[in-house]
Amino acid sequence: MAAPGDVVEPGALASPRVGERRAPGIRARIAIAVVTLVAVTAIVLGVGAVAFVDASLRDQLRASALRQADYDLGTLIPTALPGRIDRASLNASGLLETFRLRGDVETIVDFGDGDPVVSSFDLVGALAGFPPELRPIVDGGQIAYLWASVAGRASLVLAGHPAAGQPAFYFVHDASDIDGAIAQLRIALLVGSLLLIALALAAARTVARGILRPIVAASRAAGQIADGQLDARVVAASGDEFGRWAAEFNRMAGTLETTIERLRSAEARNRRFVADVAHELRTPLTGLVAEASLLRGELGALPPDVRRAAELLVADVARLRSLVEDLLEMSRFDASAERLETEPVDLGRRLAALVASRLPAATLALPDEPIVIETDPRRVDRIVGNLLDNARVHAPDAPVSVSLTRDPDGVRVAVADHAPGVGAPGPSGSASGPGGPVMDLELLFERFAKADPARPGGTGLGLAIAREHAELLGGSLRATAEPGGGLRFELRLPVTESLPARDEPVMDRRDREARSEPTRSPRP
Amino acid sequence: MDARILVVEDDPSIREITEIGLRGAGFSVITAADGRDGLTRFRAEAPDLVLLDVMLPGLDGLEVAREIRRDSTVPIVMLTARGDTLDVVVGLEAGADDYVRKPFELPELVARVRAALRRGRGGPSDAARLRLGPLAIDVAARTVTRDGTLVPLTRTEFDVLAELARRPGQVFTREVLLERVWGYDFLGDSRLVDVAVGRLRAKVEPDPAAPTLIITIRGVGYRAGA
Repeated sequence: MAAPGDVVEPGALASPRVGERRAPGIRARIAIAVVTLVAVTAIVLGVGAVAFVDASLRDQLRASALRQADYDLGTLIPTALPGRIDRASLNASGLLETFRLRGDVETIVDFGDGDPVVSSFDLVGALAGFPPELRPIVDGGQIAYLWASVAGRASLVLAGHPAAGQPAFYFVHDASDIDGAIAQLRIALLVGSLLLIALALAAARTVARGILRPIVAASRAAGQIADGQLDARVVAASGDEFGRWAAEFNRMAGTLETTIERLRSAEARNRRFVADVAHELRTPLTGLVAEASLLRGELGALPPDVRRAAELLVADVARLRSLVEDLLEMSRFDASAERLETEPVDLGRRLAALVASRLPAATLALPDEPIVIETDPRRVDRIVGNLLDNARVHAPDAPVSVSLTRDPDGVRVAVADHAPGVGAPGPSGSASGPGGPVMDLELLFERFAKADPARPGGTGLGLAIAREHAELLGGSLRATAEPGGGLRFELRLPVTESLPARDEPVMDRRDREARSEPTRSPRP
Repeated sequence: MDARILVVEDDPSIREITEIGLRGAGFSVITAADGRDGLTRFRAEAPDLVLLDVMLPGLDGLEVAREIRRDSTVPIVMLTARGDTLDVVVGLEAGADDYVRKPFELPELVARVRAALRRGRGGPSDAARLRLGPLAIDVAARTVTRDGTLVPLTRTEFDVLAELARRPGQVFTREVLLERVWGYDFLGDSRLVDVAVGRLRAKVEPDPAAPTLIITIRGVGYRAGA
């Protein structure tokens, strides 16, 4: 069926929403790149800054300590203690106390006898911890320095003689401030880096969203078009690559929309024309049908020649009537003017009545339990009636069987004729084994399809109409070839049971059967 | 059978062949070409049945039916365009008793007309007096009274009520009612029953939204309550 919707079959245009699914991926990739860049930069800068600050703080401390040691050894000590320095004179001079008070400096004085004088009790034994290579430098008359941990504290140790032969002075400067400052700097840098990364992440998200916005908008627009909303467009605000791309996209969508609209309106005009024609035909047809029915009753009274003409007239009027009525029915589907009027329907009873009125020769197989579903009985009548008419017209002498079954998927009504040779529509008229020409069978449901061009009869719309009704009921109608020849039409209907109406007493099925039974018996 | 039938139909050809068909079946026929003329004829001639086209120029068939129903219980059979399902329900609600789809064959039309005329005639031997809740139903006189007040029912409505009231509590399927009241063998339009019951309820139920006299058994049919 070439419904206008088929031209824009959603599947044909609808790519899966690739854009929307890929967007988070791109966003994540941008975020990862930015964060990596910021983190590496922060680490490099941080390590560099720590190293630089550490070195310069140590340089400062060493320079001032050196200056001081130089002064002390060269000027202060010789002045304060002229001559040979011994334990007693040193203690009497109070120099060590002076050094401590002047700056944060502790002093060890090594008399070379393994019993140095210390300014603080902490320093007892510290001398033994200094590396031995310090001593030759000091003995050479130079001032040596050493970064070491003294009494558990980071320290700068400077060593030298006031003069040759004098005891060696070790000045121990506290350097733990430097380590503390560096530790604080590290923490500050770490926190700063984390803040920076967070900031960069937020910025990356914003930028990524900005970049991706046109893509997301475009994929949304494409999705809308795929769903049939043909006037969906992308906003092409920017003049960048996206802007140009969006303009092209919109041009494509515009062309598509125009073409589809044109096809649709042509199709609609066509259908409206058919509907109008059928509608206009109805009034004269009503006259014709009534007149022909009168004529049919009086055929015997006519002279033979005229009678034959009258018989043909009656038959042709019947054909015309079927055609016009089918066209009208079809055009109501095209105009979507059909609406469902559902009620609980006992399908078995309905089928029995249909077979009795339309094709009494058909055999009917019903299940033991009644099958009651919520559906539109008039449409069921039309579908099954058309199937029976089809069997009657296209397999005139073949046995026809009608069956009703229920399975987990729903309800199945099958109408099968067993006419040899009918099973294979198409010019050859043969070969329709299992897995036969399925496409050919689908063609049966095309409008004005004739199962066999050589065999006239029927309007060619009956099966198309039946399928429209079946789909409106939420079911389906399919044709299959019978193994022994003939066609089998299968109507599947969904099982939807309604809730009881307000004023309905609650009854189970057996009760219902029992109560309705007396009404089925013949009239008294 | 000498019933007089008013045919209101605007198409001259259909009107004429209908007239011929009904005459041939033994009825006498009055015709009218539009709604206004139809109403005039109806009032002047008091026919036994009205055959009414729905689509009429000027006053349409539905309005004519409503106008007739203001003071008459005469059977009305509508001629309706096939498949206009809404038409059918609206026509029945306007007061029609039955409908025939266009195009129709004359024997089919005559059968519907006969069935509509038979309704309301009742069996002469049937002199039952029935009660349903506050309603007193006199089958012979074809009257329904509630607390001594006459309830005006069309013949179709009366027949549906009488069928149900004859066997209170028994469930009547719509097919059975279609057969007994309308004379359809099978595959009659169940909406005929539903609309008639709706109209009946509007006239006899104390509260038509919560019926107590005519109860719906969903998926099956109706039964008389009380």
